Amino acid sequence: MDLDVQENGKAEEVRSSEASFVTCAETECGEFGSSLTNHISSVETVSQEGVSAELCGLEGSAEIPGNASPATVQETAASHLESAGGADGHPESVSDSASVEDAPDDSGEFVVTVLARGKLEEQGVGVKGSSSPLAEAAAQGVPSSHRDEDVTSESWRQHRKHVFVLSEAGKPIYSRYGSEEALSSTMGVMMALVSFVQSGDNIIRSVYSDEHRVVFMQQGPLVLVSVSTSRQSEQQLRSELLYVYNQIVSMLTQASITRIFEHKKNYDLRRLLAGSEKILDGLLDLVDSDPSFLLSAVHCLPLSSSLRDSLSQILQKAITPNLVFSILIAKNQLLTIVQEKMVIDDARLDPADLHLLLNLIGASSAFQAGEIWTPICLPSFNPDCYFYAYISYLDPPDCTVCLLLLSTDKEAFYAVAECKRKIEEAMQAQNALSAIAKAQSYSVSQVGVSDLRHFMYKPFDVPDNHRQLTQFTSPEMEAPYSTGDERMRLLDLYRDMHSRIHSPSRPLKLIYHVAERETLLAWVTSKFELYTCFSPLVTKVCAINAITKLLRWIKKEEDRLFIRYPPKYSTTPNPSKSSRKGGSDQQDTTDNGYPS
Amino acid sequence: MRKPDVKVVILGDMNVGKTSLLHRYTERRFKDTISTVGGAFFLKQWGPYNISIWDTAGREQFHGLGSMYCRGASAVILTYDVTNWQSLSELEQRFLSLTDTAHPDCIYAIVGNKADLTDACAHLVEMDDGHMSEDIQDTPHHPASTTSTSSVLLHKQVDRMDALALYWRILRYKGLEENASPAAERMCFETSAKTGYNVDFLFETLFEMVLPSILKKRNEGDASTVDLEHSTETKRTKAGCCR
Repeated sequence: MDLDVQENGKAEEVRSSEASFVTCAETECGEFGSSLTNHISSVETVSQEGVSAELCGLEGSAEIPGNASPATVQETAASHLESAGGADGHPESVSDSASVEDAPDDSGEFVVTVLARGKLEEQGVGVKGSSSPLAEAAAQGVPSSHRDEDVTSESWRQHRKHVFVLSEAGKPIYSRYGSEEALSSTMGVMMALVSFVQSGDNIIRSVYSDEHRVVFMQQGPLVLVSVSTSRQSEQQLRSELLYVYNQIVSMLTQASITRIFEHKKNYDLRRLLAGSEKILDGLLDLVDSDPSFLLSAVHCLPLSSSLRDSLSQILQKAITPNLVFSILIAKNQLLTIVQEKMVIDDARLDPADLHLLLNLIGASSAFQAGEIWTPICLPSFNPDCYFYAYISYLDPPDCTVCLLLLSTDKEAFYAVAECKRKIEEAMQAQNALSAIAKAQSYSVSQVGVSDLRHFMYKPFDVPDNHRQLTQFTSPEMEAPYSTGDERMRLLDLYRDMHSRIHSPSRPLKLIYHVAERETLLAWVTSKFELYTCFSPLVTKVCAINAITKLLRWIKKEEDRLFIRYPPKYSTTPNPSKSSRKGGSDQQDTTDNGYPS
Repeated sequence: MRKPDVKVVILGDMNVGKTSLLHRYTERRFKDTISTVGGAFFLKQWGPYNISIWDTAGREQFHGLGSMYCRGASAVILTYDVTNWQSLSELEQRFLSLTDTAHPDCIYAIVGNKADLTDACAHLVEMDDGHMSEDIQDTPHHPASTTSTSSVLLHKQVDRMDALALYWRILRYKGLEENASPAAERMCFETSAKTGYNVDFLFETLFEMVLPSILKKRNEGDASTVDLEHSTETKRTKAGCCR
């Protein structure tokens, strides 16, 4: 078999996973063997037409020399000519590619599971349509259902987006749907694909089929794969995979993952991640439903600036040595965040890290009466070391207002818990909880622009921008986007606009897009990024006027919509100094916070 | 603010039901929990005393924190799953060493949870016990209704004798005299967080047993100290009961 020759240096695990795959191909894929053949031929014809987007990964790698198509398979060091067939030059690589094509029984089988699944899903796509997000949303209510799914079933194949994580040795680590054990052969195939392309000094990036995008990402010893029908751009899918990787890092740290696999290449990482599947499941559900991830920005709960300031002051006063972040969250949105002075100077909290924290809180809220103390790594901040997070709800039994305190000291639980008492007392004295309970997201009708249905606004011109958390604001999704299906449809439209705005080959500044049931306008300037959704009958002039009004409204409301001046505190051991400093900062904040 | 008088730690492999046990005891009901992250701290008011309970994560990922949770503990509840032999052996292999930081007077309980899966009697809620009466509302207590909970009993992998043997090994590991320590028969429990079987009995028994250390600590004027490590050292010099 070709692959054995080409994988000369590869570890034996790969070959064994190959073997297990071949059996899988016979058993699991036997029933749709015919559709596979169809599929492969379809890929061939398409690629003969030179439509690069339809290249299949394997054949793509082989055809690149002749085709010079955009990099579905990205080369690393070697040129195209050398890459496909090793270091033997062009003629060799041609014959190699020919052998790949001539031997679909062998090499084809490597793509069998991925592509055959793709094929089947394509066939089922008419039935499935847009109903799957709703079905998935419904399924979310049933815990552990995803794990028990039958991976040979049709419904498994029809999921909108699969995500797999495996180790370089091909060992399954995580699958969004179905159990990893049942999928070990499928993951073996994926790893084989990765290492096959790798053996030619290439990196497999994606496989495109009619309905599916398969995106590969390698991060250290982990390989992440997304199989999606969502029509999202490869870039977006890749950034989602990065979130998954970072969530794993947040639990284990990058250093320890590297160390583990250096020590033992075929280590079963599930041993360490067991029990964390729900956190990853929750993350992927959030990624699909929450635009924060798309925009890499944090969504704040709108709050009068006076209330936000007084909450910040409460947090500023409750400090203990080694405390670095105090974060107050309500309804899964940020209320306020206060950072240690020293920390803010050399780094800042990345929105991505905050998303991971929010997801962790959401996923661990089952037993809310207690005070949680857990190590957590913030990968964008420092992927190699842990913070210790104190998580406690301030309003049991409702559990909507959550306090998150991050310390660098493992032993600081009791000191940090004491900070919570202080915060609790101060909030009680100011009756802050009931004020927070009244805070809620706003309706687009408050903007007072007819035809405007929804928008997402991400400012860049925030004061002190380089040190501040990137934020965005967005109203509630209201009718006609009140059902899960419709919401997902709008988000998909936004994702599409986003991918076109941020297209690496042809970035755009402004898109006016008349869709079937709505009209969208996306606009990026040096000061903001804006996505708007209008009723379908709006005219271009109308839309532009509306946006002018919207921008004016946001400017007027920005103190309520955003955290304008994130306060700081100093927990260095000099209480008098620190309180003075904190006070003066706060003074600055209030002075600048109210532009006249 | 209420200061904890004494510290109790629940240890054990993942999925043996540590959080459920505590939830059953504090909230009087059983519900699906999700895997604990790190450790969760609870303050339980028990009569005039405040007992802090650490519900720890069983996942290997959080192993490093174990000794921190155990520091100065007066009671450690080592939990296993009666239908899973491995969960018992994990106690000895992984969790016992974490208790090195516990208080020298620390008592150890071995608790086999999920007894409702293997023993018909665990379906019954003890009626004569006043503490258990609350369970009646949501728990079937007629033998007939056991079929609704689980018609087929699973094979019990861990015998009570295995738990007793582990307890004796723990005493030996700790260098404790068998006759100076609580009897194994008293310290090995089989519980069901699902039906509430033996759960109150477990916690109440343990709290009764740590009562002397609470009183001793209060007398020493340590009651206001949150730092249990510090009180440990005080005790060691004053009491000098161990080794």
